[in-house]
Amino acid sequence: MQHAAYFYIRESLLIYRDMRNKQKLKSISVLIPLQEVSASISQLDFSLDGITTIVAEGKFWKRILYVNGEETISVSEEIGDAYPKDPIITICGSTHTVSKITEELQHYAGLRM
Amino acid sequence: MPVYECNEHQFVENIRRLIETSQKFLVNRRISWHDDAKYGPAILPDEEFNRYVIICIRKSLRSTVFTKVPFIDDFHRRTYDKGENVHGSGNLMFPRMSIPYYKVEYSVNVWGATYFFTFDALFDPHIVIEKRHGKRLSGLVHVLKYNPPPDRLLTLKLPTNVMVFDVKNMIRVIDNSSYF
Repeated sequence: MQHAAYFYIRESLLIYRDMRNKQKLKSISVLIPLQEVSASISQLDFSLDGITTIVAEGKFWKRILYVNGEETISVSEEIGDAYPKDPIITICGSTHTVSKITEELQHYAGLRM
Repeated sequence: MPVYECNEHQFVENIRRLIETSQKFLVNRRISWHDDAKYGPAILPDEEFNRYVIICIRKSLRSTVFTKVPFIDDFHRRTYDKGENVHGSGNLMFPRMSIPYYKVEYSVNVWGATYFFTFDALFDPHIVIEKRHGKRLSGLVHVLKYNPPPDRLLTLKLPTNVMVFDVKNMIRVIDNSSYF
């Protein structure tokens, strides 16, 4: 009985670890200011890795990369006076990270995924 | 064979859907550098143009850009004098001061259709004052350098189970068999 319980806990831990390590992909387009998005990302121990300027769809964008180990989050926001601004958040990380970011952003209106 | 253009959000979400359906697919990536005068300082938004204000001046977006000080463009090995027109408002398509960039193209083929996402990543301007000895300029002069953005900022990070192939070129073949 003890062995079975030990086996169950061990397997659950392995599955949990596997779920956390398995990389998920998610892109979110939100009507939330960049500062709020950056704050949510920083809360999850992600640090700024670099910024570059890109041109896509005939518009200039600031592409910001955040890294936490093997996980990455990139945020692209249009440069200039465009309104409304809807940064594109691309997450390649664990299920935990994807759900946490989604949860954080769901506190704000205008979430569309 | 149809070719569909996606933005970053659409492209990433399409890949996510493919991963979730356990569909076998391959992502192709092409990164090539260009310096074809597609981008010049006059068309840059103010936030980006501010990185050039030490050497250039303009009234507003799409106005003619003049040099503020004499400087050396180290990347193109070109020297500019003070007050030189480097990007005319009446000639926006042909700037004299070209900003190099990487063209990044991602594509995925599913059921005979190609879905692609493309963007250009501008090189980062870096302006320094250096001691130079040249015919036109010598002594301490402003030098404009361009640093290419690092790879990690150019690429889309995809899960490890997604295969990404780097390609040099993509030749589109017209498939006439579908007409019969």
